Amino acid sequence: MDFSLTEEQEMFRGHIRKMLDKFGGTQLAREMIDNNPENLKKVYTTLAELGCSGINIPEEYDGMDLDALDLVPTFEEMGRSLVPGLFMETSALVVPILKKYGTEQQKQQYLSAIASGETWISFAALEPFNDFSPAGIQCTLVQHDGQYVLNGTKTLVPEAELADAFLVLVRTNQEDQEDGLSLVLIDKTEELNIEKQSSFDESTHVAKIEFNQLVIKEDQIIGEVDKGWTQLQEGLLYFNAALSSYIVGAMESVVNMATEYAKIREQFGQAIGRFQAIKHSIVNMKVNLEIARSLSHYANWVVDTDEFDREAAIYSARTYATEKFIEVSAHNIQIHGGIGFTEEIDCHLFVKRARYYDQYLGSTPFYQEKVVASLGW
Amino acid sequence: MDFSFTKKEEKFRTELRTWLEANLPEGWLEGKRDLPEDLDEYSRVLRAWQRKLYEGGWAAIAWPKEYGGRNASLMEEIIYHQEMVRVKAPPLINYIGIHMVGPTLIDIGTDEQKEKYLKKILTGEEIWCQGYSEPGAGSDLTGLKTRAVKDGDRWLINGQKVWTSFGHVADKCFLLTRTSTHPEKKHRGITVFMMDMHQPGVETLPIVQMDGHKDFNEVYMTDAVATDADIVGKVDSGWHVLIALMLHERTGIGAELFTLEKQFNDTVELAQQYKVNGKPLIENPLVRQKLANFYARVRGSLLNYYKNLTTTIKNGQPGAETSIDKLVVTELNQALSAFAVEIQGHQGVLFDKDAVADPKWQHLFLASFGQTIGGGTSEVQRNTIGERVLGLPKDMGR
Ligand SMILES: Cc1cc2nc3c(=O)[nH]c(=O)nc-3n(C[C@H](O)[C@H](O)[C@H](O)COP(=O)(O)OP(=O)(O)OC[C@H]3O[C@@H](n4cnc5c(N)ncnc54)[C@H](O)[C@@H]3O)c2cc1C
Repeated sequence: MDFSLTEEQEMFRGHIRKMLDKFGGTQLAREMIDNNPENLKKVYTTLAELGCSGINIPEEYDGMDLDALDLVPTFEEMGRSLVPGLFMETSALVVPILKKYGTEQQKQQYLSAIASGETWISFAALEPFNDFSPAGIQCTLVQHDGQYVLNGTKTLVPEAELADAFLVLVRTNQEDQEDGLSLVLIDKTEELNIEKQSSFDESTHVAKIEFNQLVIKEDQIIGEVDKGWTQLQEGLLYFNAALSSYIVGAMESVVNMATEYAKIREQFGQAIGRFQAIKHSIVNMKVNLEIARSLSHYANWVVDTDEFDREAAIYSARTYATEKFIEVSAHNIQIHGGIGFTEEIDCHLFVKRARYYDQYLGSTPFYQEKVVASLGW
Repeated sequence: MDFSFTKKEEKFRTELRTWLEANLPEGWLEGKRDLPEDLDEYSRVLRAWQRKLYEGGWAAIAWPKEYGGRNASLMEEIIYHQEMVRVKAPPLINYIGIHMVGPTLIDIGTDEQKEKYLKKILTGEEIWCQGYSEPGAGSDLTGLKTRAVKDGDRWLINGQKVWTSFGHVADKCFLLTRTSTHPEKKHRGITVFMMDMHQPGVETLPIVQMDGHKDFNEVYMTDAVATDADIVGKVDSGWHVLIALMLHERTGIGAELFTLEKQFNDTVELAQQYKVNGKPLIENPLVRQKLANFYARVRGSLLNYYKNLTTTIKNGQPGAETSIDKLVVTELNQALSAFAVEIQGHQGVLFDKDAVADPKWQHLFLASFGQTIGGGTSEVQRNTIGERVLGLPKDMGR
């Protein structure tokens, strides 16, 4: 038995960390608050040059044909610096879905472009006043004289301005709830009506997209029509495993911040880290981090296997990570005292992102139910 | 990442399984697992089990071969714990002898001491207890007052120990005493004796625990006698001996984690059986959410244990991270057993023969309060993690 990342994986982590530090770490997220994605674009180019965007893409499409576990250092490091953008949606949602369900032509069109870092893809699922369940998807794609026409509104689409294409979840059949959804890939064109939405996590941008009689070609539909929900579930396994890694990285930053501050900040003549109220609070954060890390490493390993606990492991990694991220980022503010409540230092960035991800593509109870259901209980 | 076991490890598992099937007490595998209430009878049965383990070569697998062990690898120890939990094997009455005293003697004992004690530990002929805590020395063991004074060629020991697990069945005590009269540093001047529990000056009184059991004791020593030959390590350097001993607890938490995992599965079963409003409780969304949360925590703790174990295997010795495992397993055990009682509703308070489900839940719940205290309280574990893993400044007073 060996439950650890390999030396190569850890070495790779080192390269990414160095690169992100050079760009100022969380500075990248702060620049997004100011609507300035220039450095972020450079980071994405560098990530592609380092090979990150091709890690899980087959060799025939110019990738490295490695496993989800090989993406873990990248995601953890991105999480550490709260790097925004579409890396996760592209590599951990779209790529696995395309690999498994895409047609040869779709693979050729997208996989190589993704591997080279030319194409980043966002995901449009949610709709106003609706949740992330099959019944919540009402955007309709209707066949008309040999053409497909799309109508409806999507909200909370991440980083629309950075996207080259969108993976859109649409209703293709009104009769059947689950078996009536399809996934389509839509390139970003002038025709799309995109409007930025404001979110309290300003370091990740979200947008509303309205589809008004948009004509879609049949070959934009991924795999079989009406099977989008099933396809998405498979993609979500990879996505949630990746998300748990990203959050582990973010939690690690938070624990480091709290620990370092508690060592230097003095009150009553001593470092506050000597007070157990503070010390024990940080230890609880650390314990939560390590459990989340162990769950997430396992989740990223198991996702490429057919172990019996594949789904339960991944969904429990996700719920545990999102839940504890909220908790540790809140404690971090408390430990910092007044300065923790300011915009000046990073504490708030993590709190906001924690809440954002908790409710992104499902909530804690939503995934807890999936854990239990996947175990057959 | 590799969760598989090697051929050699699998062979080890099969060998142990086969042996257990042939040697567990009669009816054990079929569920006849009641141990005698009467203390002498209880001790006799478990000593017999220890003896059987010894005869099969399964008494202390981690010990070197020359001392009667199997030189087992960490992985083999893990498998051993897994299998023991799987068959709900009888408790190890000489746990302290096998896992703590024996390995320490092998490490730093004299040849005479090894000769005199090791085999008897293996066979269950001599059961051991640990005498550290005292009324005024708990988390801070340096407050101990039990005194050993040299009197000619022997030592006279006076004082009181408390919370001594296995004290009522023990033949020998790994005893912490104060020997130096003016210690500048409180942890200096402590000496470890291997004290005979069956001599005139030693009196053992059971303490009734909150779960009704009497697993630990007060031990009073009035001019109890020991000799130089009974000292472990050197006079006044007992603190180092204690640290050496703690390093030997290589895999023990694993057994608790495997047990926890099993208990979690049993909790799920309970939620499936138990009905509210005519419907199995497991269909209740709130119960499902809690179960999912426990699933994540139990799995996460076990995986984290594997992660730390991997580091231990690579580094050759466990790091401070292992305190995380002790903290997590005991607190989780408390939360889980409370939940198992909670889901029984009103009937959760019914005890022993009147319990509606397996009465083990009520017992586990009550016993869980000892786990977060014994072996170092949760607070002390948190100090250790804060200081040794995170590098935070030391607790005041130390
Ligand atoms: C089931 C069980 C079995 C045991 N078996 C044995 C045995 O075999 N041999 C043996 O010698 N002892 C044994 N003990 C004793 C055990 O090691 C002590 O109970 C334990 O170390 C705590 O000491 P105490 O009970 O004196 O509590 P105290 O040390 O008085 O603690 C009281 C409270 O103060 C807190 N506290 C103390 N110091 C600090 C600190 N620095 N920072 C923050 N909080 C602190 C504690 O966490 C606790 O909450 C056993 C105990 C139990 C419950």
